[in-house]
Amino acid sequence: MVDSKGQAVVIKDLHFRVNGLEILKGINLTVNKGEFVGLIGPNGAGKTTLLKCINGINKAEGTILIDGTPLNQLKEKEIARNVALMHQDTSISFPFPALDVVLMGRYPHLKRMQRESANDYKIARKYMEYTDTLKFEKKPVTQISGGERQRVIFARVLTQETEIILLDEPAASLDISHQEQIFKYCCELIAAGKTVIAAVHDLKIAARYCSKLVLIQGGKIIAQGIPEEVLTSHNMSKAYGVNAIVYRDKVTGQLDFYLYNGRDDVRGTSVHVLGGGGSASGVIRELFEKGYKISTGVLAHGDSDLMCAEIFGIDYIACEPFSEISDEAFALNVDKIKDAQITILCNMPFGKQNIRNLEAAQYANRLIIIEDDPPEARDFTDGKALRLYGLLRQRAEVVPSARLHEVI
Amino acid sequence: MKKPQKKFIIAMLLALMAVVVFATAVGAVYVPFVQTVKIILKNFGFIKNAEFQSGHESIIFYIRFPRVLVAVMVGAALATSGAVMQGIFRNPMADPGTLGVSSGASLGAVVAIALGLTTRSLYVMPVFAAAGALTVAFVIFVLSLRSGKISPLTLILSGIAVSMFVNAITSVVLSFARSDQVKEYIFWTTGGLGSRRWEHLAIGIGPILICGALLFLFSRELNVLMLGEEEAYALGLDPSKARKIMLFLSSITTAAAVSVSGNISFVGLIVPHIMRLIVGPDHRALLPASAVGGALFLVLCDVVARTVIQPEEIGVGIITSLLGAPYFLSLLIKTRKEGALL
Repeated sequence: MVDSKGQAVVIKDLHFRVNGLEILKGINLTVNKGEFVGLIGPNGAGKTTLLKCINGINKAEGTILIDGTPLNQLKEKEIARNVALMHQDTSISFPFPALDVVLMGRYPHLKRMQRESANDYKIARKYMEYTDTLKFEKKPVTQISGGERQRVIFARVLTQETEIILLDEPAASLDISHQEQIFKYCCELIAAGKTVIAAVHDLKIAARYCSKLVLIQGGKIIAQGIPEEVLTSHNMSKAYGVNAIVYRDKVTGQLDFYLYNGRDDVRGTSVHVLGGGGSASGVIRELFEKGYKISTGVLAHGDSDLMCAEIFGIDYIACEPFSEISDEAFALNVDKIKDAQITILCNMPFGKQNIRNLEAAQYANRLIIIEDDPPEARDFTDGKALRLYGLLRQRAEVVPSARLHEVI
Repeated sequence: MKKPQKKFIIAMLLALMAVVVFATAVGAVYVPFVQTVKIILKNFGFIKNAEFQSGHESIIFYIRFPRVLVAVMVGAALATSGAVMQGIFRNPMADPGTLGVSSGASLGAVVAIALGLTTRSLYVMPVFAAAGALTVAFVIFVLSLRSGKISPLTLILSGIAVSMFVNAITSVVLSFARSDQVKEYIFWTTGGLGSRRWEHLAIGIGPILICGALLFLFSRELNVLMLGEEEAYALGLDPSKARKIMLFLSSITTAAAVSVSGNISFVGLIVPHIMRLIVGPDHRALLPASAVGGALFLVLCDVVARTVIQPEEIGVGIITSLLGAPYFLSLLIKTRKEGALL
């Protein structure tokens, strides 16, 4: 079967009902050859159901084209030669040796009574080698661990040698190294021109490996596209009902999420945070979750507190690293402090670059000082900052960071 | 089939041949082994001009030898059906007896007798037995397979309920029968091989050989079914269709055996289970091993049944029940404890 368009799977207006309950409500999806599609969505969204429709276990209404041919025109064995499916539940209760289980992947390629040829054994062993399971080929699958069994089943799926591979939570019971491994295998399969559609629970992994994500919720596709387009705060709240901040981790270069409780009690109170060197991040997060209107500054470019401000999308005043705060930045900072109902001075080290933040703190309407470490240990200005700090301390509320919630 | 499995089955076949000769030779009248073999060979025309002690020839060739062959046939049929049913239902406690299929076959046979149809043709009884077995198989299929998942114990419990129901109907039918037919009841419920002759072999051999061979062709499908319902589907096997065919064939096999020997319990349960421990779960080895093992087991049980209280004999079904029931109980306890199938 050759399809010039290069579409591996085309799904049009797919509906699936169980006992009158509609599980899939009009799915439209096109998966091109060589794509690694991740199906994501909350539990019970219909990811598994959709996978089972694609290989015909679930008989759904609507159209499914496998490589251009309608699914219902294919016999069971023909489907199994084109589409392999790895189920979520990989338990096997009879003690078949691992190799025998993998060899069953050749079933759709064999005629009745046809024995497995040397070539079939070669294929099975090749994929067992690939999935690092050949070392226990003779061991009964009932006597290996869940993760090992999952890899054996993955080898069986590969042994089917299909163009389209469906995986339902392929890494569910795998440890972290094998989890990464299985997705790396998938990328290699993609490189070899195969098509993979996987239901994936772990959004970070999905974002990292999949070329396309499909977000399903309540039996409908609510977003599809490249990971950045799909994994937005808006979509996350729509699908999972959570508040999430999606950002690209500067260290790993990968999409990451920060989930927080609802900000339903949004207070109008404005707070300005004076921090730096990572001292403000925790404070900003806490204030953000509580719904305060936050601003921060002056922070040097490259400071992790500044990244934090970017992630949470709050106003900040920045200056060049390793240089003193400019007059302009200082003036902006003072304005912010004067506007804010509360100013928080974080547990930060004081040096020549940021001493003007202490000066600015004098203009606070209400000053809270967070003090976890003695200021003497944080002073790198030969006592100049310490004097300023002493003055501020007289008129401020001083708390350790763990008790910040008591004063705001 | 792998080499050690092949060797094991060949060894069992040789043992079976030896046991057949032994079982034919022993009895109220002892006939030496060599004589026994010679009588059998002479009557098949392999050797000529052999003289035997008066009466030995007819005892051996017309009474004991066909009975032993019936035991071989019935044992093989029941054990093969048992192995297949355990595979279909993925349940080591399933067999023609525990599922009630044997009881259904018994009922069919009794109905045929009560209607007085058995004199019309030799094949009336197996046809009725098959009808009874298939009816029960259909009920079990609807109860368990169509609805999807069913726990191993629920399956066995429903099998027992169906069995009791069918046995009750059998009693009703027999209470309308003439008094001399009523003692037949024991034969049909506990099973026996007493006075089984060549014609009984003729009744059963056709369907058992045909269905047995067809079942063997399905052994790879059975293996795939073992992986689970949806796994089978993903490999291109419609599990429901495959199960229907295999349940049909194994029910016919059971019915053919039951219409010859009555309802002999536990052969289909113990033998495949032990064989699975020896040759493993691969049905390509398990089915032939079960067939040979079942034959061996039933022939030996029948020897015990004939000789233990000579000159009287007890039904072979009683012997298999005495051995099988404790085994079944231990299997039940093990299954409950482990919550697993094996």
